[in-house]
Amino acid sequence: MDYDALVVGSGIGGMESALKLGDMGYKVLVVEKEASVGGRMILLSKVFPTLDCASCISTPKMAQTIHHPNLTVLTYSEVEGIARNGDGHFKAKVKRKARYVDEVACTGCQKCETACTVAVPDQFNADLVARRAAYIAFPQAVPKKAVIERQGSSPCTFACPAGIEAHGYVSLIRSGEYEKAHRLVLDATPLVGTLGRACYAPCESECTRGSLEGTLPIRRLKRFISDRHVESGEDLGIEVAPPNGHRIAVVGSGPAGLTAAWQLARMGYGVKIFEAASEAGGFLRLAIPSYRLPVEVVERDIDNVRALGVEIATNSPVRDVEALKADGYEAVLLATGTPRSTGLGVPGEDRLGVMGGPEFLRKVKLGQPVDMAGRQVVVVGGGNVAMDAARVARRLSATSVNVVYRRGRAEMPAHHVEADDAEKEGVQFTFQVAPVEVVGDASGAVSGLRCVRMALGEPDGSGRRRPEPIKGSEFVIPCQVVIGAIGMTADTAAFASLIGLGRNGALQADPKTLQTNVPWVFAAGDVVNGATDITRAVGEGRRAAHMIDRWLTGGMLDGFDRRLPVVDKAEVLARQKTYTIRPTAPDGVTLETAPHDFREVEGGLTEAQAHEAAGRCMDCAVCSGCHECVAACPVDGCIDLQARDQELEVEVGAVVVSTGYRLFAADLKPQYGFGKYRNVITGMQMDRLLAPTRPFNTILRPSDGKVPERIAYVMCTGSRDETVGNPLCSKFCCMYSVKQNQLIMGALPLAEVTVHYIDIRAAGKRYDEFYEQSKAMGATYVKGRVAKITEKENGDLILRYEDIENGGKLVDAEYDLVVLAVGVQPNRDAAALFPEERLAEDEYFYVAEPDEDLNPGVTSIPGVFVAGAASGAKDIVDSILHAGAAAAQVAAHLERTQAKAKVPA
Amino acid sequence: MGGTTERRVGVYVCHCGGNISDYVDVERVVAAIRDEPGVVVAKNTIFACADASQSEMIEDIQRHKLDGLVVASCSPKLHTTTFRGVAARAGINPYTYTQVNIREQDSWAHTDDPAGATHKAISLIKGGIARTRLTEPLEPLVVETTRKALVVGGGIAGLRAAIGLADVGLDVFLVEKERELGGWVGRFGTMYPHERDGRELIDGLVAEVRGRDSITVFTNAELMARSGSFGNYVAAIRINNDLPELVHVEVGQIVLATGFDTYQPESGEFGYGIDGVVTLPEFKAMVDASSGPLTYHGRPVRTIAYIYCVGNRQPGGNEYCSKYCCAATVHASIEVAKLPGSVHQYHLYRDIRTYGKYELMYTESRKRGSVYMKFPEDMPPAVALDASGRLMVTTHDTLTGGEEVTIPADLVVLVTGMVPRRNEELMGLLKLPVGTDGFFNEIHPKLRPVETVVDGVLIAGACQGPKNSAESVASGLAAVTQSAAILKKGTAELDPLVATVRAVACSMCGDCLTACPYSAIEKAEVAGREVAAISPSTCKGCGGCVPVCPEDAIDLRGYTDAQIRAVIDSMLEEPVA
Repeated sequence: MDYDALVVGSGIGGMESALKLGDMGYKVLVVEKEASVGGRMILLSKVFPTLDCASCISTPKMAQTIHHPNLTVLTYSEVEGIARNGDGHFKAKVKRKARYVDEVACTGCQKCETACTVAVPDQFNADLVARRAAYIAFPQAVPKKAVIERQGSSPCTFACPAGIEAHGYVSLIRSGEYEKAHRLVLDATPLVGTLGRACYAPCESECTRGSLEGTLPIRRLKRFISDRHVESGEDLGIEVAPPNGHRIAVVGSGPAGLTAAWQLARMGYGVKIFEAASEAGGFLRLAIPSYRLPVEVVERDIDNVRALGVEIATNSPVRDVEALKADGYEAVLLATGTPRSTGLGVPGEDRLGVMGGPEFLRKVKLGQPVDMAGRQVVVVGGGNVAMDAARVARRLSATSVNVVYRRGRAEMPAHHVEADDAEKEGVQFTFQVAPVEVVGDASGAVSGLRCVRMALGEPDGSGRRRPEPIKGSEFVIPCQVVIGAIGMTADTAAFASLIGLGRNGALQADPKTLQTNVPWVFAAGDVVNGATDITRAVGEGRRAAHMIDRWLTGGMLDGFDRRLPVVDKAEVLARQKTYTIRPTAPDGVTLETAPHDFREVEGGLTEAQAHEAAGRCMDCAVCSGCHECVAACPVDGCIDLQARDQELEVEVGAVVVSTGYRLFAADLKPQYGFGKYRNVITGMQMDRLLAPTRPFNTILRPSDGKVPERIAYVMCTGSRDETVGNPLCSKFCCMYSVKQNQLIMGALPLAEVTVHYIDIRAAGKRYDEFYEQSKAMGATYVKGRVAKITEKENGDLILRYEDIENGGKLVDAEYDLVVLAVGVQPNRDAAALFPEERLAEDEYFYVAEPDEDLNPGVTSIPGVFVAGAASGAKDIVDSILHAGAAAAQVAAHLERTQAKAKVPA
Repeated sequence: MGGTTERRVGVYVCHCGGNISDYVDVERVVAAIRDEPGVVVAKNTIFACADASQSEMIEDIQRHKLDGLVVASCSPKLHTTTFRGVAARAGINPYTYTQVNIREQDSWAHTDDPAGATHKAISLIKGGIARTRLTEPLEPLVVETTRKALVVGGGIAGLRAAIGLADVGLDVFLVEKERELGGWVGRFGTMYPHERDGRELIDGLVAEVRGRDSITVFTNAELMARSGSFGNYVAAIRINNDLPELVHVEVGQIVLATGFDTYQPESGEFGYGIDGVVTLPEFKAMVDASSGPLTYHGRPVRTIAYIYCVGNRQPGGNEYCSKYCCAATVHASIEVAKLPGSVHQYHLYRDIRTYGKYELMYTESRKRGSVYMKFPEDMPPAVALDASGRLMVTTHDTLTGGEEVTIPADLVVLVTGMVPRRNEELMGLLKLPVGTDGFFNEIHPKLRPVETVVDGVLIAGACQGPKNSAESVASGLAAVTQSAAILKKGTAELDPLVATVRAVACSMCGDCLTACPYSAIEKAEVAGREVAAISPSTCKGCGGCVPVCPEDAIDLRGYTDAQIRAVIDSMLEEPVA
């Protein structure tokens, strides 16, 4: 057996039980789900009826708990399940949640907290203020060690095939850290400006904000930081390892090759890129039209790669891969993409005036003459290349541009925005039509395209309906130019003798390691996968660099994709009850019906727009992955965002459930306006306002920071109230309100405090005297439940109640601040600890004590005990006594069962 | 001052959140004491007691090779143990630690004078530094403890505690004044909230106690004397009031569970004395005994008026609330409603305190027809007989606008609360203090809820203050835990801050013997001379003997004359402006 007892929860009850068991000589494991022991008591101001400061009582117990020789404490950990063995012992599964901070190395300096770019409601300040995603729970936390809250991957980041920390750079932009945002993207790829313009932004399709007023313009935010970086003239500012003496050849300078070269160069490798064309950049430079992606943007991105010392040899097709090896390159990456267009495969395709889409686009981008003026153009195909070709043809003054596609609009593989924009620019579409023959005139030049109409049949393997020709439906579209954009293939003939080829000449490589059948040759991007898009190519390039490095350093070819699971968007949205719909930035696109030049059609975001847009981010995963904490931490290796949860199994002789209680969610009483009226707060929030570690330096009301002069308490909010399903009394709300009254009157001598109550339940040693003291200090107690609260324009609040003591009139009383004395709710996590055996609850879902009269702390499961408020509303004094009693029960059980933990080394 | 090898002292001045720093200029205080002799480290800290601050102190002690620690924060009652622990963990002698109280004795006392409070803090801390510079390493006194406990009182708390102590392997002596075990609960029928029968609960416990070899029961017995010292007391018990022989038992801990008495109204108080006006315990006995329609002296009871808070919440009288009586009365009224026949029940109350789950009983009693009327504090109900000899209760009902209501009642129940049991002899022999309410006082309701200022004497149940049966049992078990935490180890550590006699200087005048409140000083023979000798395990370090010694032969460890003089000298230095 590992421990005599497992104590679940380290609030005042859990600590008391654990300490006393430890004092008796038992070995105890304490598991706490938060990052600090102490539970709720440490968060309070002072405690009734002695007005001791809560910290003074809690901190010694917290320190004792963590230092007690017989206690082992796991914070930020969760008990996932406890099962009883045949021998009466228990097996407990404990999840040690990843803190992402080395608990031993962390000095508690809080630099990560200061650097963190994500703010979320601070649960330790009752949501009155924000805390960071990297945080130390509260100033007196034990242990005083930071944790980073990562709930998973944010949907945007998770969706990015390039592996760019989308959430991270958005949060940096929100913080005004544009250069840092730029560097975060550079950490994945040198193609910041390119992706900021030409990426199809799968991140945006996943953005949680999309289900509110609309997705964040994540791609354009990337363009914004790229443009800002260029304007600023700053260095790239990225870290590059010193040269390691190893050389790697990259064949192809498209997004995959450039990204791989970039990553390898940063690791210290000597990289040379071999490019067959006269210009580097692959499709970015040679295909994507300038109105979408200006040449200078691509060249700037390529210059990033050159800046790391990567040599790019253009006009250098590689015909002999082994020769590279012979030249001293220890590994070769083939990333030559899919430069060739697929032929139309119809008669007449060799006529003058027929050209492939990529070839057409390349000519235009290289400034070679292509005469379209006055011609009718037909573009065959429905992909992005077809859209590009059609729109470029429009810009070259073609009389008409007609896109023919064999299926319907909905089936077009082109990005819908591309198709929409093409249409807006005057491109015509003819759907469900396939070419049959290119018709020519006497000179052999194109005069038209004979087509056949298609009917859509049953869905095929791709899930799209299969087009089938309709007999006798042939017709000719008159035209002088036919551009075939129905597909692209790799040009791999030169590698065929060495590397295995797949369908359409694609290189064969392991999809995870990207290694080919020749161990030192890796292949990545479209040359392996067929035509995809830029982000996928970037992702492949990164993967290739990682794997090549692993291979060269003798490591396992794994460990590339270490994303956390994506967070559930529904859960993210459920964090708040309501959301303000915020304005979205205009899309910035200007389209002409007859465009004549290659000016960029989309504008950038202004700084104000970027800031506003980034501000809409919902921080889905909490931690954005901006890595600012890693940079700020003075201890090397202390923060590790790759850390993962650990599972632990322990055997124990007994279990103490001290999971405490939940506070009533005050918005369930809509007539009191909590969550809607900012000056209606809960008792816990007032305790935070009064605590020595208070968020503001005084008591103020949230709406305008005014120091309140008229403060009302609404007792029994959520207690003694059948309408919210809780007919029970919460026991401590009267007393904490009485306590707060006194503290408020001490802090704000001019404030008037009025308590609207049903009964004041000052039942306990010196409690009634304490209540009398509050009345003597000047608090007013008004009998009667408050009916409703309304808000005035200036934030003041009107309480309506029946003035029972003065004839029962309806009274509207005005206050600056209203405190709802919220009560307790059961914490149903307790029963969930025991998946195999029912831990009985009472009819209101507190842990049942079937023999409470004689055996407090004993539950329905032998060997399982309950301490503190998990078994029902208790104040601190009650909880401590109850926890003491539970400890006696545990000891009796252990003595009876003669269980004894071996003393851990 | 001086003369010793210079000490290396670390001084930490605590903000206590804002408790201190709102009134004391902590930064200035640190600056003012930084250059005091011996001070090597001087810092301020937001919460000295926080674990991170403790770790910092340990680091400082080790890095700067400190051999003395001063923390200026709150009352030593709160944190002396905490920071002695810090010293120990850092590897220096824990008794080189001095706690300076700049909160209770300074910031909280001088909220109107920040400058004065700051000056005072500087003086107090200088004194603390002076004391620490003259400390000598001391070792705690380790005593073996007797693995036996004495429980005084055989009510439900005492019985359950006795069983709990036996359960964890301790031998128990249970002393009960009455002939029978069981206390109040042993006389009750159905009790709230689980409808268990009090007599049956007690019968079960008594059978258990009787069946345990490790529990020795003395009924008709009283604790007469206690001697010995912490962990090893000898209790003298008189068994059967008439027997002159006392039984002596050795015990390590004493748990007092002596219970409560109920308030006995004065004649005429709310009509008490009139036939038909009864107290809550009298009424409870009536209800428990009824199976048919409720009758009083043979007359059917059709209307009952309950008057709450009799003998409680009375300015100038018992000011406390007895906590259990609301629920007990509400419960009794439900029992009445369950009896055959219909009874009108009027509850005249101030606040109904059916806290927690007991609220359900309050709801049920209303559903069963009880009527509740809140009377204003300054207009309590009046009970009188009318011309026909009928009991009439007049009250003002707040809920109907203070309307005067007169209720003709067959029975008036005065809801009487608990009063402390008259225990003067026990208090005297244990030197146990009580609170303003007359109940035994714990050291601290949250930090040490079952311990008393008398080492080794714990309190359980309603002798500490009003509690219901279940709460009494819980506190009895909490006392078991506290006892076991000390006794199961077999040894206990005692503070070495005790008085010592320089035998050569002692003239055996005997003044110290009479000055000692703990009987820790005895005559002993040293080198053929009769001198005073102080038992270190009995001495509490109160210092009472030190000033009475005409020969200056007694010194208090940790608070030697030299230390006290140095403290005073330092405090009287002009504070740095």
